[in-house]
Amino acid sequence: MVFSSVVFLFRFFPLFFLLYYLVPERMKNIVLFLGSLIFYAWGEPVYVVLMLFSTVVDYVHGRLLERLRGKRAARLVLLSSVVINLGLLCFFKYADFLIQSVNGVLGTSFPLFELGLPIGISFYTFQTMSYTIDVYRGQTKVQKNLLDFGVYVAMFPQLIAGPIVKYRDVEERLHNRRITLVDVSQGLQRFCVGLAKKVLLANNIGELWAFVGKMRFQEMSMLTAWLGIVAFGFQIYFDFSGYSDMAIGLGRMLGFVFPENFNYPYISASVTEFWRRWHISLGSWFREYVYFPLGGSRRGRPRQLLNILIVWMLTGIWHGAGWNFLLWGLWFAFALTLEKLFLGKLLSWLPKGIGIVYTLLVAVAGWVLFALETPAQIWGYVKAMTGMAQSLADRQGIYLGRQYLVLFLIGVIACTPLPKRIANYFRDSRTGFHMALYRFGEKFIPAAMLLLSIAGIVDASYNPFLYFRF
Amino acid sequence: MDEKRSALFTIIIIASVIVVFTAGDLIQKDRLFSETENRVLASRPKFSLDALLWEDYTGKYEAYLTDQFVSRDKWITIKTYMDLALQEKEVGGVYLGSDGYLIEKHLPSDYTNVQVNKKIALLEKLVRDWDAAVMLVPTADNILTDKLPSYAPYYDETLLLDQVAQHVGEHYVDVYSVLKEHAGEEIYYRTDHHWTSLGASYGYDAWAEYTGNEAGQYKAEDMEPVTEDFLGTLHSKVNLNIDGERICYFPKTLEEPLKVTYDLEKEADSCYEKSYLDTKNKYGFFLDDNHAFVEIETGYHNHKSLFVIKDSYANCFVPLLIPHYEKIYVLDPRYFRGRLYEFMKSYEPKRGMDVLVLYNCVHFIEEFAYIE
Repeated sequence: MVFSSVVFLFRFFPLFFLLYYLVPERMKNIVLFLGSLIFYAWGEPVYVVLMLFSTVVDYVHGRLLERLRGKRAARLVLLSSVVINLGLLCFFKYADFLIQSVNGVLGTSFPLFELGLPIGISFYTFQTMSYTIDVYRGQTKVQKNLLDFGVYVAMFPQLIAGPIVKYRDVEERLHNRRITLVDVSQGLQRFCVGLAKKVLLANNIGELWAFVGKMRFQEMSMLTAWLGIVAFGFQIYFDFSGYSDMAIGLGRMLGFVFPENFNYPYISASVTEFWRRWHISLGSWFREYVYFPLGGSRRGRPRQLLNILIVWMLTGIWHGAGWNFLLWGLWFAFALTLEKLFLGKLLSWLPKGIGIVYTLLVAVAGWVLFALETPAQIWGYVKAMTGMAQSLADRQGIYLGRQYLVLFLIGVIACTPLPKRIANYFRDSRTGFHMALYRFGEKFIPAAMLLLSIAGIVDASYNPFLYFRF
Repeated sequence: MDEKRSALFTIIIIASVIVVFTAGDLIQKDRLFSETENRVLASRPKFSLDALLWEDYTGKYEAYLTDQFVSRDKWITIKTYMDLALQEKEVGGVYLGSDGYLIEKHLPSDYTNVQVNKKIALLEKLVRDWDAAVMLVPTADNILTDKLPSYAPYYDETLLLDQVAQHVGEHYVDVYSVLKEHAGEEIYYRTDHHWTSLGASYGYDAWAEYTGNEAGQYKAEDMEPVTEDFLGTLHSKVNLNIDGERICYFPKTLEEPLKVTYDLEKEADSCYEKSYLDTKNKYGFFLDDNHAFVEIETGYHNHKSLFVIKDSYANCFVPLLIPHYEKIYVLDPRYFRGRLYEFMKSYEPKRGMDVLVLYNCVHFIEEFAYIE
């Protein structure tokens, strides 16, 4: 199930929360778990079993690790958990990619599995792995209650697209959580903002990219190419951060506090900073469970650079089973390495604006690798962007620019902390009028966002059939 | 306390949006057909374990919920107004032109040379074998160029028309020039992709010149309105709250009695079907909307026959030819599955008949086809 749909907003959401708030404390987890299963099974009626399997596997591993604490066998148990989880992930996500690559290199024609990718598998396998690793390291207590553990894994807000929640972030609240009115109201507000980001911004701006992405490069002016990829950059940010907002908001409504996943990445003044603001939970996961175990920066510079390379190759490939994603990861490894070596220092002496422009250019170049699949497509697009292949600007480009100008401006503002600062200014102001304005805005602006988003959702299914009906 | 009270109000206000529409949606009964969208709306899918696991029951159920969502049409209007607020000049493939004109968008990249050449080859053959006249009517974006949003890209049909003229030579009727001349008049509907009866009358002038008849037979002042509330196909795409427009026809075309037969069975005494004026699809007034085959027997006994191969653009044009022919046959190849030449021969009288191919440029590329 998707948050931005009629079935979620007008069936699941009201029914689930009605039930959840009505039942007593001790039954909330059952309701949450079952509700989450329905939520997940709605989109994956078959693979829901896989998710449950992964849950039970790591529950068992967790208990085994506690039993075997201090003994050598514990290492084997940890290894088993990692192998099973990664095995599942690799099989469903990367098997066909690997087979295709082998076929391409060796000229063989091994058949592909052609299995669909189970929704959320990249997220829940990483979540359960973080649990077993933390238990092994003694950083978290084992969860003896299978239901509570199941809630941690399957909880519907973050199951499908993150944030990747570490077990210790929710451990306290898994059992006996108090949900206050403020939790629910702030959760609702956050949800509405996220929904608007996805439906009103991401989906709209995405149409520009959808259009340009289908064009042939030979017909693309430089203006059009840039507009297209910038649109993609907006779309993926608003889509992903909007989804995280909704997840965090819903989590709040359930009584949990999830960590932030995005912190205005497009105002970063360096690529290093960018990755501390973009998809924070993923960066944090890789840092903690891959980078630090490999030695991080504590084994000398050359080793550090190798570690960065490894982590970023993995980060890239985590995003998708394709060589372009690997390249995308490598692109950032390259930029981060340069920054570690000398560029970071240099940027800190220069005015911030230069750093921001530099970071945005690196990000945009990265998006070209992320958004297009084949080397031919990537190269063609880059050529168009340089303006050397076709004209600098054409009628099509100017028209697109004008069509999306206002939306882009709104997008730019929405990428900055400015709206939040303005809201906070009114909230913290001593003036009665300002405070009243804030009180009014904090209620009606999210409600208005919700209404407009509903219009966007219904409109997306609008399908007029013009000439005749059969 | 203030914090808690404020939180409570926030919850009530936001949650009530959900609650109100959930309740409204549950209460409202399902609709079968949407006039606005001119299609059948999804109905509740049947549940079975098989359907759930293997036949995308949940996907179908979601489509059903969304199609039947309460106040569906109004939500779409809101979305269009949002687009307008963003200064977008294009909604759902329709340009929001100046002077209240909605103009359908066509891009050069929509049509390939291969496709165009294929259609022209088909046309050429037909013209050669039947000595047919060719009228290709440009779409509004080519004639009303000053009404398009600035820099709006459009498909330049003059290149197509030149190519066609080259291939069919003297069989080409130049509609483009005469329409361009009258571009300042109301020759296209504001809310529909068709040309108006006035536009068709100028098309008639072009045809008259081609056939050596007298032009200027149908003047603007001869038209009579049949409705003031027409909201056409382009309006359906944007669904804005705008006023309807006028549809006119030429009463001259009904001076002599007519016998019209639709699809070999339905008979009428007029080529105009008034009942459509009470529905959304008012353009169907002309020639009873879309039929595969229409046979018109006029009161002009001059032994001349005409066979028209057309798209819906011809519907308001064909009646103008009534005074010139005793029999007019109108065929829409979209609905015709037989062999064209055979069919035409079966209606051809001994003294031969005129043949006319009448399409708008875009439909010609998209739809023109026949089986010999």
